[in-house]
Amino acid sequence: MKKILVIDDDQFFAKTLEGALPKEKYELIAAEDGEVGLQKLKSEKPDLIILDLMMPKLDGTAFLKKLQESTDLPKVPILVSSNLSSVKKISDVMAMGAVGYVIKSDESLQSIVQDIERVLGEEGKKE
Amino acid sequence: MFLFLIPVLLILVVFIFYFYSSLKKREKEIIKEREESTRHLYELAILKELGERTGYSLNVEEILQIITGSLRQFIDYTAVGYVVITPEKLKINTHIEKPVSNLFIKEMKDRMVASLSALTNKSLDTFVLDEIVSGAIVVDEIKQSIGSLFNIPIVIGGKVVGVLSVAHIDPGLYKEADMTILYKITGQASEAVTRLEDVVKMEKGKLNAMVESMEDGVLMVDPEYRIVVANPAVKKIIKFSLSADEGKDINIFDFVDSLGGKFDIHGRLEEALVNKHSFVSDRINIGDSFFNIGVYPVLHSPTKGGSQMLGAVAVWNDITRDIELERVREEFTGMIVHELRSPLDGIKKIIELAVSGSVDKNSDQFREYLNMVHQSSSSMLELVNDILDLSKLQSGKFEVNKEEANIKEVVANRISFYKISADTRGVALVANLNHNLPELSLFDPQAIKQILNNFLSNALKFTKNSGSVVVSAFVYDPLEFFPKDLDKSKIPVFPETTDINVKTASLCVVVSDTGLGIPEDSMKDLFHTFKQARLNPVDKESKGTGLGLVIAKGIVEAHGGEIGVVSKEGMGTSFFFTIPL
Repeated sequence: MKKILVIDDDQFFAKTLEGALPKEKYELIAAEDGEVGLQKLKSEKPDLIILDLMMPKLDGTAFLKKLQESTDLPKVPILVSSNLSSVKKISDVMAMGAVGYVIKSDESLQSIVQDIERVLGEEGKKE
Repeated sequence: MFLFLIPVLLILVVFIFYFYSSLKKREKEIIKEREESTRHLYELAILKELGERTGYSLNVEEILQIITGSLRQFIDYTAVGYVVITPEKLKINTHIEKPVSNLFIKEMKDRMVASLSALTNKSLDTFVLDEIVSGAIVVDEIKQSIGSLFNIPIVIGGKVVGVLSVAHIDPGLYKEADMTILYKITGQASEAVTRLEDVVKMEKGKLNAMVESMEDGVLMVDPEYRIVVANPAVKKIIKFSLSADEGKDINIFDFVDSLGGKFDIHGRLEEALVNKHSFVSDRINIGDSFFNIGVYPVLHSPTKGGSQMLGAVAVWNDITRDIELERVREEFTGMIVHELRSPLDGIKKIIELAVSGSVDKNSDQFREYLNMVHQSSSSMLELVNDILDLSKLQSGKFEVNKEEANIKEVVANRISFYKISADTRGVALVANLNHNLPELSLFDPQAIKQILNNFLSNALKFTKNSGSVVVSAFVYDPLEFFPKDLDKSKIPVFPETTDINVKTASLCVVVSDTGLGIPEDSMKDLFHTFKQARLNPVDKESKGTGLGLVIAKGIVEAHGGEIGVVSKEGMGTSFFFTIPL
């Protein structure tokens, strides 16, 4: 059973993703902003983070930065999912250590699920 | 007998002589009077003619030519001339009526220049002489020198600029009266020129003041690229500072250096001067600012036709603010697109789940999904309505339909509408209606409901559990201020009389909360389009675009009222509006 932390102020996204992911394989934890995300990262120790960029309090970019600067936070692969689609933004977050970038409205739930499985599969091989 | 006649004859002769002489005297007087009146008439005629001919001329020389040309009508002279001082030279013009020698002309010239030198208290030796002699022929055999001569100073604006001279070969010719007339004539001409110069100076002053105070940078050069005008704005743009470059005149190279490769100022000025081409640049970045630089030829086109190249002007139009606005607009559009795309995408994904059949249609989860679709579509509809209202406001098509309505009922209606929402949040929502409110007054009840919806939903969003929201309504009189019995005791932040600037008695509605308060620096942008304060509501559902307040402002202003907000961080906020009664 893999733990996935979805950090997104759009609660619908987490809910629909939960519906699309096979329940027997994944456990989904939701956080509505970056601050809650940091807490849950420490307490839940997820296998993957799905991170939105535009959020109140601590946004996605700031969250990535915190993770980059921190020495004690667990290293977890991060898949950025956002509706922001500028090339600059994508290359910026990739440079900050994200393993992938999903433009939410351009992809179906099914393809997002496939992205998640691919990232977790690759990470599994590394271990 | 005859002897007797002698004394009688004598008496008669004496009498006749006396009579004759008195007659003669009278005749002389009459002739003199006639002469005087003729002279006076002449004088008037000449002054009038001069007035007409010189009235609109600013050119001293032109005026002097007119005067000297008219002179022969009433003064007898051998030669008439003038000398005028210009920055570089002395212009001397002599018109001879009867043939004279070169010596005569030279003596006349010397006496004019000497007189001018004495009057201006200046040595004129260094000046280049520009001489013209016209009229009769010069005959050196004529040995007659100047017999009579008088000089009249030409004064413009209190300064001696020249001397007018009348000369004759006969001595002792000119009388006080002749000189007086000429004084009068030149006096009048000088006055006219002075007046015109004052007008021109004033107009020039106005133009200068205008150019000096312009926010746009203005540079004007003459055809030799010498700088004629460089206003403070343009000096600031190219960072030419008076203190650092003291004693140094600004020149075209200061501009060439400052602009570097960004704009070929010299080339563009040349285009304007040589080919009379105008040019307006694209956006050019200088320091922190952006400019459009326009370069135009400056041509003087007198009515006589043909145009004279005076120089070229370059204008730096600061478009930094436009670009900033453009950026804010883009950001705003980006935000709106995001606000619409997220719920739409949510709906799409829920439908995808439903269609895939992985969720049981009778399950609680499926019902939750349907609720989410409902919420998403409602919030999108709200946003679209707000955008429509906003565009109506901006294009001036927003209309309020005023009717006789009861503000107490409107407030009570909105409170009951938001009661459930307030109860779920654990927030007390109460009305505070003053008895001084009229039963009926003129306003658009639907529009006022819209404002209250916005104020109330905001107040609830930012107020924590066990806080309170109070809607106060009363008549505010600018002379008596708040009604004496208005209860503000449970409201931590309430507008002061200085916050409400109405001129007539008005309905005043205040929605006060005990919420988080608004930071000082976010307050000023609250009612501005495209600039929404980024505030953190107490819970995650309570996001907003902030368009509601902009729309509320539009509605209140359409009623002729005012809208405002007072807030203290950590204590609470009061939004209020007034509607004149």
